[in-house]
Amino acid sequence: MLVDSLISGFGLFMTPLALGLTLLGVLFGLLVGALPGLGPLMGIILLLPVAIGLPPVAAMGFLIAIFVGGSCGGSISAILLRIPGTPLAAATLFDGYPMAQKGRASDAIGIAISSSALGGLFGGLVLIFAAPALARVASNFAPPEYTALAITGLIAIAVISDGSLIKGLISGGFGLLLATIGTDEFSTGYRFTFGSHHMLNGFHIVAVVVGLFAISEMAYQCMSGDLLAKPKITVARPGFRSVLTTLRHWKNLLRSSVIGGFFGALPGAGGVISSFTAYAVAKAMAKPEEKYGEGAEGGVVATESSNNATVGGTLVPSLALGIPGDASSAVLIGALLILGYFPGPTLFEQQPEIVGGIFLVYLASNVFLLIAGILATPLFVYVLRVPKVFLIPTVLLLCSIGTYALQASVFDLFVMLGFGLVGILLRAASYPLAPVVIGIILGPLLENNLRRSLLISQDGYWIFLDRPVSALLLGINVLLIAGAIWFAIRQGRKTGDVSEVTGQS
Amino acid sequence: MLGKKQVNWLVIVFFAIIIAVVFQQIHTSMTEQGIATGGPYDNAAAYPRAIAILIGLLLMLQAAVSWFREPTTDTDADELTMKQAYRPLALLGIFALYLGLLGVLGYHLTTTPMIIALLLVCGARPSLRIIVTAALIAFTLAYFFEAHLKVVLPGGIYGLNIPW
Repeated sequence: MLVDSLISGFGLFMTPLALGLTLLGVLFGLLVGALPGLGPLMGIILLLPVAIGLPPVAAMGFLIAIFVGGSCGGSISAILLRIPGTPLAAATLFDGYPMAQKGRASDAIGIAISSSALGGLFGGLVLIFAAPALARVASNFAPPEYTALAITGLIAIAVISDGSLIKGLISGGFGLLLATIGTDEFSTGYRFTFGSHHMLNGFHIVAVVVGLFAISEMAYQCMSGDLLAKPKITVARPGFRSVLTTLRHWKNLLRSSVIGGFFGALPGAGGVISSFTAYAVAKAMAKPEEKYGEGAEGGVVATESSNNATVGGTLVPSLALGIPGDASSAVLIGALLILGYFPGPTLFEQQPEIVGGIFLVYLASNVFLLIAGILATPLFVYVLRVPKVFLIPTVLLLCSIGTYALQASVFDLFVMLGFGLVGILLRAASYPLAPVVIGIILGPLLENNLRRSLLISQDGYWIFLDRPVSALLLGINVLLIAGAIWFAIRQGRKTGDVSEVTGQS
Repeated sequence: MLGKKQVNWLVIVFFAIIIAVVFQQIHTSMTEQGIATGGPYDNAAAYPRAIAILIGLLLMLQAAVSWFREPTTDTDADELTMKQAYRPLALLGIFALYLGLLGVLGYHLTTTPMIIALLLVCGARPSLRIIVTAALIAFTLAYFFEAHLKVVLPGGIYGLNIPW
């Protein structure tokens, strides 16, 4: 099955369009990753409207490559400016910046890119072997299991998201409500359409996501300091010998990649947690003379290999179950749905060529990351010197044209603006935005399977406890919530308030 | 001008309005369509009602926490001043105006002035450079989308589109 899938996907992958877009995606990902405040999610969102007009494997290659490049790009600004381009690279500056201060900026960037690519390739192996196995298990799932799975995905994200548990759950619930807008699949009745034909299919997910994340981010960016400032950056030209330097830390590389792949596969965990964990483990296992925190190569290897391995891990539940691991993979699932493919076991059974193609573009994007990343670093260093003032209108314009291009609809532009305002409001009150997107993606899966479960059930809601897998998943949900409350109360006692529970600061 | 405490309450009010809209729609539009009662197949209102109730309960919890646990006044660091809010408010105002005029005047007449206005709001000094930069950004993106992706950008009442 696995080999067949890869062979059938090879034809879709080996086209100039798919290869070219994968390379372009890596370069764009590195760019948005390097620019502080953007990151892989923003990169995927900005080019999502472009991707959904393309053939499926080329489109997914483009978006996945942005994810891969964006997960690495943050290290460039972390090393050179001591400002992580993305939260994923926050742990990289512990040793990356001291390396740059010692005149080893090129080495640090080279090691970061090599580790990212090698860690990403390890994540690819996790993806290729774990996703089909998980899909095989999930092919026995019925509506009650899918209902419980969707609830688990949502609760996991809400529990682990920034901010409080209550706010995370409210955000997730808001996403679930947004997903109900439009025509009901069962009764064919109209819900929350207010008599407008624009609303018959609900809000376009791209307009919602662009508004929530990109518009609100630009509003926040323009509040920050001097937008005309040009940062002073030293020139960095890494070479391919960095690969050998990275391979000298092979134990650390392998261990950190395993951590990354594992955390990636857990819904909600993501690259930030995995990179900090990998760094902590690497530091704990290092010899004192390695001097972690003062420019140790191993520190950069650990954080960068783990956060890129996370990308492969994240795609496992996304492709095999349709359950996104984080906001970026939720948007990738959204793209796959818009392209007409439904992630889950049926995708593996009925369209193995798409799955194989996605596996191959993922692997290729990591190979391209290694080559293009090292060769094009001087270009990204140059881009970092461009004042932020030019970035804001460009991103806003890209958001507008991209959203308009979806359906040639001005209505979508106002939806985008409206959700931009909602995004600003939620961010101002420390409500996490990722659960909103996950809620929109999981909403139809949850509602349809919940109603199907109740239709086939002889005794109402007991069906969820009668079936072992669904009962187990619901038990996990109870434990997740109980654990989060216990942890928050404990933290609250330590700090003397309940800020951890409520997210108030 | 606006503190974290007020913003927290604003969000609670926002979600309360959403919940009210859910129940209003269930009792009007959905009831009229006959999809607000019955079993799992016919009842399209049960699921959004359950989600709205869940959000409502969480909101009450959040409101209680905000009421009893939050400090009664915001610190200066929490306060958003008018000076800080000027840029994002101006940015959103210009952007909203742009979107409003886009359908009427079209992409090519509105985009360059919008970018110039945004650059000025963000602190750029008026000069020929920002006019050239704005035009360059607007036309490069238009070229990419129209010539390569075959997207027809809004032409407005004058039907202005460039045949690249």
